[in-house]
Parts: sequence; structure tokens; C-alpha cells
Amino acid sequence: MKYRTAIRGLILIATSLVVAGPSYAQTAEEITSSIISGDPEFNFMGFGDLNYISRDGNNEDGFTIGQVVAHMSASLSDSFSIFAEFTGTGKDSQYSFEVERLIAKYEFSDMFKLSGGRYHTPIGYWNSAYHHGSWLHTSTSRPEMVKFGSKLVPIHFVGILMEGTLPRNRLGLSYSAGFGNGRHENVARSGDAGDINSDKAWMVQVQSAPDRYYGLKFGLGFYNDEITPDDRPEIKESTVSAYVAWTKESPEIIFEYLHSEHEELLNSSVSGDVDAWYAHFAYRLKGKRRDWKPYIRFEKTEVDDTDPLLFDQGLNFDASILGLRWDFNPYAALKAEYRNEEFDNNGRENNFRLQLSFVLAKL
Amino acid sequence: MGGRTISACNYPLCWQSYKMPILMKMNTHNLTIRNWQTTICLVGMLLAAANVVSAESSIAESGLAIVVHKDTEVENLSLSELRNIFRANQQFWPNRSRIVLLVRAAQSDERDFVLNKIYEMNEDEFRRYWIAKMFRAEVPRGPKVVFSTGMTLDLVVAIPNSISFMRADNVTDDVKVVRIDGKLPGEDGYPLK
Repeated sequence: MKYRTAIRGLILIATSLVVAGPSYAQTAEEITSSIISGDPEFNFMGFGDLNYISRDGNNEDGFTIGQVVAHMSASLSDSFSIFAEFTGTGKDSQYSFEVERLIAKYEFSDMFKLSGGRYHTPIGYWNSAYHHGSWLHTSTSRPEMVKFGSKLVPIHFVGILMEGTLPRNRLGLSYSAGFGNGRHENVARSGDAGDINSDKAWMVQVQSAPDRYYGLKFGLGFYNDEITPDDRPEIKESTVSAYVAWTKESPEIIFEYLHSEHEELLNSSVSGDVDAWYAHFAYRLKGKRRDWKPYIRFEKTEVDDTDPLLFDQGLNFDASILGLRWDFNPYAALKAEYRNEEFDNNGRENNFRLQLSFVLAKL
Repeated sequence: MGGRTISACNYPLCWQSYKMPILMKMNTHNLTIRNWQTTICLVGMLLAAANVVSAESSIAESGLAIVVHKDTEVENLSLSELRNIFRANQQFWPNRSRIVLLVRAAQSDERDFVLNKIYEMNEDEFRRYWIAKMFRAEVPRGPKVVFSTGMTLDLVVAIPNSISFMRADNVTDDVKVVRIDGKLPGEDGYPLK
């Protein structure tokens, strides 16, 4: 009964936000004038989520506000645009606000776009396809290997990025190559105020989205950095990631794998690997039940005992996840998720999550 | 920016139309029209249904024309290139001018046709696609939304580098029709009909 009341309340809040959102249509004169005059054009989007979490043997269960996300973009000219993303995240006793992305991009052509700023590191699929805004992804949360504050994958990077699509190719080949600050001495963070050492991080990712199989994407990426953690010697990090994604929803299949090697710079005999993957399957039902989308996900992360960077971070993880998403509104979804997880080989536990996620956007 | 345009196609969505199935269920043997609002909605729904049938047959007969501004240096596109343009995977013409994409608002037959044949998406997938695209900073904005064939013509004529679509029998000499896979609307094998 309590749950029902809570769900009704959450739905009411989300619906109110959506209904209260901006609703206007431009006339022909306004569209013509905005494009021909070359005046900057601003766009805004917002995401948010509200959660109820219940965990085995945990007394701190209850309602949480997830992330409140604000996206802003502006076309300052045909080729030059600015994109910014800010988040507010509920913590124990306060909210933390963060500039998640700030990108100034100049597009020379489809083949070559150059930008500078703070990015979601273009490595793998989930980190750049969804990242913030849980309404975008099917499940209630990100896979553990790319969770916020992950020490496994450098979630953000600050620097420059070149990207583009190769012209007229049936394989839909595209690339992105970045160069910038590596990880901070707290390895979960990017070097927002400069690199902590003289060796910059670099990354390359090649992706394919074949014309013939719309919805299919696969990619291969590399990331390389030298890390100076605050409590141990300098470490060389090399990561390779690969993914396959079929995103047409009936079915939706995402498989992502990551292999990371860490080696002490002054003593190459001290080294270790990390392997992590997840496999996500979902299926949007057809016909009258198309608002419903059951899903299942398996995740695994294994860290070598000899890994000089991550051996003592408790990152070993194993999970089976079963959930159901209900898109009761074009801009809002309710998700229920059961999770059976094991953190760092400490025994399995059961979790239950209920989430209301929504987007404030107008096309 | 602040002006609100109300689509003439809104009437099938008025709240009364949702009541109709309930009314019909309650009075299976004796359907009574309760008030003038319901009557208007019923007539509106019938007109809309008739309009849809007529428009769909028209697109099927004459085909959907892909139109661009007259100065755009493109004569022919493959269906695959067209899909990439409409999905904003290609955002520039070969002369490096940014493509201005104009898409009809929801509840138009041309849009339904384009979503089905070009985007290969339904309305929900289309919405999610553009929101995700903007979220990933792949496009600074979504497509420009137009509300009628007349508005489409006006904008394609006025905006350099624009591309849009309309029923082939609505095309005028003020815009350029692009060949798709080497064919024009009305020719055998034209893919958009």
C-alpha cells in the first residue's frame, strides 16, 4: 500500500514537470529568421530520476533523488557550437554539483570535427551513449564497470577530441581520437586542473554502424595513460575495449568488454590485469504492450591480485539483474529491478530498485 | 519564438475522443451522443480518418518527393545517403554547408511515411533517437518542425541548404526535387512510394 502511494506520488511529480515543460511551435518566419540571421540558437534539456532502493541487511534503504541533469547547447554559427552539462547529485548530507561536460566544437565537415573541453571518455559504448540521464537507458543504473566514479574506466577526460565519419561508406565507419589530461591522483577523477604528470592520456575509438543493418553498432577502442596515484608509484595504464550493440529495442542487445593492464613504470615486473564485461538483453513488447520492456543483464569484473593500481580497491563484482521498464508517458518511465550481486567476493546479496526517470525535452 | 501554433490535426486527440469507447461500451444497444462537444469530436475523427485514407493513397500513387533549396548542389542521393541525412549522420553537403533538416510535425501522413520508409522508426523511437543524439552532443539541435506543405515550401525556398519532403503532387517549380537511387517520383522503381 505504501509502495502504491509512493509510486502515484512519483508519477504525479514527473507528469507535472513534463506538462509544465515548454511547449511552443515556431512559425515559418521565425524559423527562417533564426537560421538566416545567424543568431545563436539555444536548446535546453533536463533529466532526472527518483528512486526507491531496498537492500539485504541495509538499514539505510529508502527513497533517493538520483541525478538532476541540465543540458544546454548553443549553435553560435553553422559550424561552431557549445555544449554544457551540469549535474546535481544527492549525497549523504548535501548535493554535489559538477560540470560534467563542457565542449566547444568546430565542425569542418562530417569527416573532421575538432573540439576541446571536458568529455565523457569515448571508450566503449555505455559511457558515451548514455552516461547521465537514466531515462535514456533501459535499466535503473549503469553497469558497475562504468558506474559514476569508476576507478576501472576513466569516465571523463579533459583535452581535445577529433571525430568524424568516413564519407560514403556502407559500413558507417566513424572515429574519435582524443588527447588530454589523464587521471587525477584520485584515479576516479579526471585531471580537471591539468595533468598530474607530464605524460598526457590518448585514446582512439573506431566504430561501425552498417547502413544495411540499422540499429547495429560495434566498436573497438584504446586508451593509454600514465597515472600518478597519491599513495603508490607511477603506473602505466593500457586499456582496450570492444562492444557490439543492437539498439532497435525488439530486441536490444549490448555486449561490452574491457581489458586493462597496469604496470609500475619503474618496475615492470609489478603488473596485473583487469577484465570486465556486461551483457544486456531487453525486448520491447509489440502492439498494445509496446510500453513494456523486460530486460536482463549479467555483469562481471575481475581484478588480478597483482594489479598495482586496483588490487585493493574491492572492484571484483558479479551480478545478475532482472527488470521491467514501463514507458507510461513518452517522456517518463517507471522501472522495477531485482539485482543479485556479489561485491569483492563477500557473498551474494539481493537488491530491489524502483525508479522513476524522466526527460524534459521538446523537439 | 513565443508564438503558439495549433495544428489543425489536433482534434482527434481532444479529451472527448478518449471518452468515446467508454460511452460506446456503456450503451451498446442505444448509443447516445451526450453533448455537442462529443458530436464535434466524432465528426472530426471521421474527417481525420477520411483524410488519412485519402492522403495515404495519394502518397502511394504519386510518391513522396525529397525537395531541396534550388541552389543546393545535389541532384541524386541513394536511399542510404538520404537515410544518413535524415538521421543526421551526415550533417553537411559536399560543399561543406550545413544541411538544414525540415521535418513535418507529428500527425501528418508525410511524416508517418518518412518515419516508416526513411527513419525506419515509429514516433516513440524517433523522439528517443533525437533526444539521445542531442544528449551525446552529436547535433546541437533537433530537426526544424514544420506544420504544413505550404510552410515546407516556404521554408525550402527561403533557407539555403534546406532539405525536406512533400507529396510529389504538391511540388512547385520553386524547389528542386532530388532523384533517389536515380529515380524521380512517378518513375518505375522510385523507392519512396
